[in-house]
Amino acid sequence: MAALVALYPEGTKVTNVTSGGRRKMHYTLPDESEVVEEYDVQTDELVVRKKRSKTVLGAEGEWIYEVGEAPTRVTIENDLLRPNSSNPLLVRKDRPHAFEWRIRNLPYPKPTYAVTVDAQDNQIVVRTSNKKYFKRIDIPEMDRLRLHLEEAALSWSHENSTLIIQYKKPQQIMAAEKDAKVARLTAPEQGPEQAAEEQCKQQ
Amino acid sequence: MAAAVKTDVTRDVTRIERIGAHSHIRGLGLDDSLEARAVSQGMVGQATARKAAGVILSMIREGQIAGRAILIAGQPGTGKTAIAMGMAQALGTDTPFTTIAASEIFSLEMNKTEALTQAFRRSIGVRIKEETEIIEGEVVEIEIDRPAAGSSKGAAKTGKLTLKTTEMETVYDLGQKMIDSLTKEKAQAGDVITIDKATGRIAVLGRSFTRSRDYDAMGPNTKFVQTPEGELQKRKEVVHVVSLHEIDVINSRQQGFLALFAGDTGEIKAEVRDQIDQKVAEWREEGKAEIVPGVLFIDEVHMLDIECFSYLNRALESDLAPVLVVATNRGITRIRGTNYKSPHGIPIDLLDRLLIISTVPYTEKEIKHILKIRCEEEDVEMGDDALTLLTKIGIETSLRYAIQLIIAAALVCAKRKGVEVEVEDVKKVYTLFVDVKRSTQFLIEYQSEFMFHEIQDKDADMTDAQL
Repeated sequence: MAALVALYPEGTKVTNVTSGGRRKMHYTLPDESEVVEEYDVQTDELVVRKKRSKTVLGAEGEWIYEVGEAPTRVTIENDLLRPNSSNPLLVRKDRPHAFEWRIRNLPYPKPTYAVTVDAQDNQIVVRTSNKKYFKRIDIPEMDRLRLHLEEAALSWSHENSTLIIQYKKPQQIMAAEKDAKVARLTAPEQGPEQAAEEQCKQQ
Repeated sequence: MAAAVKTDVTRDVTRIERIGAHSHIRGLGLDDSLEARAVSQGMVGQATARKAAGVILSMIREGQIAGRAILIAGQPGTGKTAIAMGMAQALGTDTPFTTIAASEIFSLEMNKTEALTQAFRRSIGVRIKEETEIIEGEVVEIEIDRPAAGSSKGAAKTGKLTLKTTEMETVYDLGQKMIDSLTKEKAQAGDVITIDKATGRIAVLGRSFTRSRDYDAMGPNTKFVQTPEGELQKRKEVVHVVSLHEIDVINSRQQGFLALFAGDTGEIKAEVRDQIDQKVAEWREEGKAEIVPGVLFIDEVHMLDIECFSYLNRALESDLAPVLVVATNRGITRIRGTNYKSPHGIPIDLLDRLLIISTVPYTEKEIKHILKIRCEEEDVEMGDDALTLLTKIGIETSLRYAIQLIIAAALVCAKRKGVEVEVEDVKKVYTLFVDVKRSTQFLIEYQSEFMFHEIQDKDADMTDAQL
């Protein structure tokens, strides 16, 4: 699969299953880390992309959400501390032609914000003049293809206490995603048993 | 904003730890040339034994020699466990020190050798770098709401913590555990702190420079640091020590839904252990990790049986073995699981591998010192005469008995609204509580009036070394 090579390293194993109106792709990378992508069956929109890798000692790490929102569950582990719900919250969404980030709970007026590209670290930087919010945003897809960020592709707006940032996808990303989509749609559907078999290594 | 810190001051001074039999011991009490100071770090007397333990300690610190074993032998109440505790304290928290009693390994759920293997692997640490997520920032405000008076006792406290960097500010909701550790670390507005996200450990780095002009009372060792920059959450490499057993457990856990069906007996497969050993060896070669050999202390070692002893023989030969310290108060007695008698109840082949440290009974002066230290530890004011009397009791009966009388006498003293424990209080508790000698005397006199005296077997062997 040519498309896979572009987005994931060689030797990546893929399984997929459709449930709950979502087509779920599960990738196991050669270094044993996992990536799960969830696509809406009707619109083929990427709703969630999360990944996790094993810690040095071999324990299962936590899911890191690249796209979409982590479920806010209150478990015993969360007894320590968690960000207050009134804090700004960054969620990435996937648009056909652009990467989009929405930062909710930012009630300050528009002149407060400054969104720039940091060419050196290849990151988008969000600043506020009242020093309430600051974020460096990576675009893992761009890093994977070793593409540089450009100021011209960046745009942003602010409405309803939400800061919306968009970065136009360059040609290479669009091509890679198109290939990946073809591969995804032609891949045979696996039953849950088959998928489970491949994931659950018996001890 | 400093006024927003609402912490309960009276609560801070309450001690969390209870006072144990050896909680007054803070080290071995040796000077730099390994000579034992007469009274130091809670240790009294036993100069040679302590010096010997100090030599062993420097061997452990060097970390080069694996699989050595030490036997601490001596009569009951001569400070064997105290010496082991002193070693643990002197080694500090970074060196693994596992304490078990020999009887702990006899369980119906776990193999004897498995329990011993786990104890061995708990005593070997691996110092390794791991990336963890930390939150680093200056405290803007700590707000702790306590549950309204009259609400149920179980109602947890809730709180909010506001942290900032030079660029941003975030409000966190705090759980009960976090509130406790914030109170313990005495963090307050203006402090720069780090929080380990996984463990919740808090470290106060110092006070922010921006607060340096506040007219606060501050000690000479108040450290000023810059307010951190950038984002509050960072990934940072930290070095910490985990034991081999912990790594075993992490890697042997059944994954996913299979965990629900696996009857977990706590036994770890040999293959998993082999894998871990291999991985650790790899890390060592790559310079990613280093081994921190620790100490395994087995108290009452005569309670182990012959199978365990032969296992110990073999386990000590591994190059990943910790330093083994065992203690016993037995003389020549039966080896458990056999009919053979042997010194200390330990087979000769294992004894041959042991360096033996012996403890001797305390002198009068030393007993007095120990009692004095215990009085301080238990927060009891005692008059000189009372202490002399208690010392005498300690010599006549046993040190343990005398120590137990301290708090009892203090309670009697408090009852009569006295300030200091006096001779009468000690006399009173001496009559209230019988020591072993008097109890035995009493039994010998009135034996015939107790139950079952008529079938006393003439050659009944009451040692516990029997199977």
